Amino acid sequence: MMIIAGGVAILPSCSGDPGKASIALKNLPVTADQETLLAAVAETIIPKNDMPGARDMNLHLFTLKMVDDCSDAAEQQVFMAGLDSIDQFSRQKYNNAFVQCSDTQKATLLDDIAGGRQDNKQLTTMINITKRRVIQGFMNSKYVMTDLKKYELVPGRYNGYFPVKTS
Amino acid sequence: MPEITGDSIKDRTFDAIVIGSGISGGWSAKELTERGLKTLLLERGRNVEHIKDYPTTNMMPYEFEHRGEMPLAIQKAAPVVSRCYAFREDAMHFFVKDNEHPYVQEKPFDWIRGYQVGGKSLLWARQTQRWSDYDFEGPARDGFAVDWPIRYKDIAPWYSHVEKFAGISGNRDGLKELPDGDFLPGYPLNAVEDYFREHVHQKYPGRHIVSARGAHLSRPQPIHFQQGRGQCQNRVLCQRGCPFGGYFSSNASTIPWAAKTGNLTLRPFSVVHSVIYDEKKGRATGVKVIDANTRKETEYYAKVIFVNASALNTNLILLNSVSGRFPNGLGNDNGLLGKYVAFHNYSATISAVYNGMKQYRTDGRNPVGGGYIPRFRNVFRQETDFLRGYAAGFSAHRSEIADHSGTGVALKEHLLNPSLGEWRVGSHMMGETIPKETNHVSLDKEKKDDWGIPQLKIAVVYDDNDEKMRQDYLDQMAEMFGSAGFTDIRPARADKAPGLDIHEMGGVRMGHDPKTSLLNKWHQLHACKNVFVTDGACMTSTSTQNPSLTYMAFSARAADYAFGELRKGDL
Repeated sequence: MMIIAGGVAILPSCSGDPGKASIALKNLPVTADQETLLAAVAETIIPKNDMPGARDMNLHLFTLKMVDDCSDAAEQQVFMAGLDSIDQFSRQKYNNAFVQCSDTQKATLLDDIAGGRQDNKQLTTMINITKRRVIQGFMNSKYVMTDLKKYELVPGRYNGYFPVKTS
Repeated sequence: MPEITGDSIKDRTFDAIVIGSGISGGWSAKELTERGLKTLLLERGRNVEHIKDYPTTNMMPYEFEHRGEMPLAIQKAAPVVSRCYAFREDAMHFFVKDNEHPYVQEKPFDWIRGYQVGGKSLLWARQTQRWSDYDFEGPARDGFAVDWPIRYKDIAPWYSHVEKFAGISGNRDGLKELPDGDFLPGYPLNAVEDYFREHVHQKYPGRHIVSARGAHLSRPQPIHFQQGRGQCQNRVLCQRGCPFGGYFSSNASTIPWAAKTGNLTLRPFSVVHSVIYDEKKGRATGVKVIDANTRKETEYYAKVIFVNASALNTNLILLNSVSGRFPNGLGNDNGLLGKYVAFHNYSATISAVYNGMKQYRTDGRNPVGGGYIPRFRNVFRQETDFLRGYAAGFSAHRSEIADHSGTGVALKEHLLNPSLGEWRVGSHMMGETIPKETNHVSLDKEKKDDWGIPQLKIAVVYDDNDEKMRQDYLDQMAEMFGSAGFTDIRPARADKAPGLDIHEMGGVRMGHDPKTSLLNKWHQLHACKNVFVTDGACMTSTSTQNPSLTYMAFSARAADYAFGELRKGDL
C-alpha cells in the first residue's frame, strides 16, 4: 500500500503499531497522536472549503516526510519539541487540547504562535517549518498544479513581451 | 549495433577506438563511423538510451518524493556534487556521487562528473558560442601559456559543420569578438533584457547584450528530423533528458546517428585503464579496458585512438599509460602532461530590481535563459591591470508573489491569486583564467580506485588575476545596472572552489612545439601520432566562451584529418 501525500506516494510504516505514525520515518519519533495533532495544524493552515484541504492532500504527512529527510538533527529536535508543546499552549489559552479547539480558536492559536505572541521559540520555529512545508506541498500538489492548471510541463512557447492584464 | 561476442583478437580489433561518449566522444564516433571506420566507443558508465532511459523526464513536480529537494543524508554523503546547481532529485541519477569515485583534492576542487553513455552532454547548460581570433591569439598577444597552433579560419568551417547538425539557436549579431554561426532562429530577449541591451548599446560603446546562443531546436531542419529530434518545447527540464530531442546531447543525436551507419560498437561499463603503446611499432595499438562490473581486463586494438574521456579523466588515462618509451605517461616527453590546467571563473554574481516595463511579463519559458554579454575587457587591446576578461549571463524575470501570512481560507486565496512582483535582473560572470604550470593534476602514488587505477590528485587554484577580474566584473556590472536605473543592486562574491564551473580544461595542451606542448594542430600527440585528444584536455587557453561547441568542432575536424591520414596510409 502507498499513501498519496500531495500527489506523491509515501511508504506506509511497517510496524502496523497503532501508537506509531502511519508512514515510515527514519529520524522523527512521531506517535499516532502527534500525527493527528499535526494534521489538525496543517488543516488549520490550509482548510477544506470548496477545494480540498491539507488533510485531504495528506500535507501533514508530506511535512513529516520533508522534516524527516531534509532537516538536520537540530531542526528535527526543535520540530519535535515544538510539536510537544502545542497542547500546553492551547490549554493555557483555551483550556483545551489543540484538536479539541474550535476552528477559530485553532487559527488564533497559530496566528499567536507565528506572530511571536508567546515565549516558546521552539514552538514558533516548529509552526513556521510546518507552515512552509504545508504551503510547499499545497502549491506543488496535483490539485493545484494539474486541476487548477498552475503548472505546465510542456509550455511549447516563449513570449518575452506578454502583456499584463489590467483589471 | 554489433555485440561483442568472441574473444579473438580479430573480434577486438577496430579501425578506431573512442574513449568516452560525452559531447566530444559522441562527435568523434559520429564522424569516424560516417567515414566508414569500424569504431569502438567505450564508456565507463551504464548505457543511457535516448528517451527510454530518462526515468524522470515526464514527471510532474509533485511526483518527486521531496519536490526536487535533495535529502540531507545524500548531501552529507556527497558534498561535492551537492554543490552543483543541477544536482536535484530529477537528475541526480546522471551525476557521480562523491563516494562512488573518490579523488584527491590537494587543493579544494569540486570535480563534477557524469559517468554514463552521453556523459555530461545530458546535463550541460547548452550555451554555445564560437571563439574568435581575439581568443585564439590571446596567449601569444598577452604572453602566457603557448601560442595556439590554430586560428579561427582553421576551425570556422567545422563550427558550421557541427552547428548545422546539432542545431544552434542564435541571432546574427555581427560582432567581431563573437562570430556568427549557422544559426536556427534565436530566442528573443524579454522586455527588460531588451531594455538593458538598448541602454548599454547607447551608453557603453563596445559592450553588447545578445540573445544567448544555445543548442536548442528553435526551428528544426530536415537534418534534425532525420535524427528523430523535434522542436524544443520550452520545458527547460533538459537535465532530465529531453523526450523531444529538443536540445543537443550525444544520446539524442550523435550516438544514434553513428549507430545507424552500422559501424559503431558501443561498449558501456568499460573503464579505460590505459592506452597501449607498442615500442617496436612506435605507435599506440589499442587500449586496456577493465569491465566496470566484472573487473575483467580486456585489450582492444585499433589504428587510431581518440581520447575523449572528459578533460581531467583524459589526463588521468594518459598519465596512467606508461611504457618503456613513455615512463611518465603517453606522449609526455617534456613533463608537461597534467600541467597548465585552467577553468572558468564563475565566482561572482549580481542582482537588482527594475521598476519599469510593468506592462509586460513573460509567458512560457526561454530555454537558453536570456541574454549573453560577450567579453568586452581587453578584447582589442590591453586596457586593465588584469589579463583577459569575462563574459557574463544576463537575464530578467518577473515572478508572482503571494502573501504567505496568516492561515486558513484567506491564506489559500492569497496563494492561488498571487500578484506580479517587480522585474528582477541577474548576471553571473564567466572569466578566463590563465593556465599555469602550478595548476596541475597528477596520479596519487598510493590511492587507487575500485578498478586498481590510481586516483587523480588535483591542485588547481585561483590567482590574483582572477580576483582583480572578479572585482572589475562587479564594479562594471554595478555601474551599468545603476546607469540603467536598476535599484537594490546586490553584488555577490560566490566563493566557490574551482571545478564547480564544470569548465575544467587543459593538461594536454595544443601547441606548435613538442618541447612546450603535448598536441599538434591536428590534436595528435606530438610523440604518438595515432592518439588524438579533442576534449577539454587539449585547451591551450580557456577564453570565456562555454567550451562544448569548440570541442565538437575540434572532434569533427580531427576525425576528418585522422580519416584522411589513414586513407593515405600515414597512420
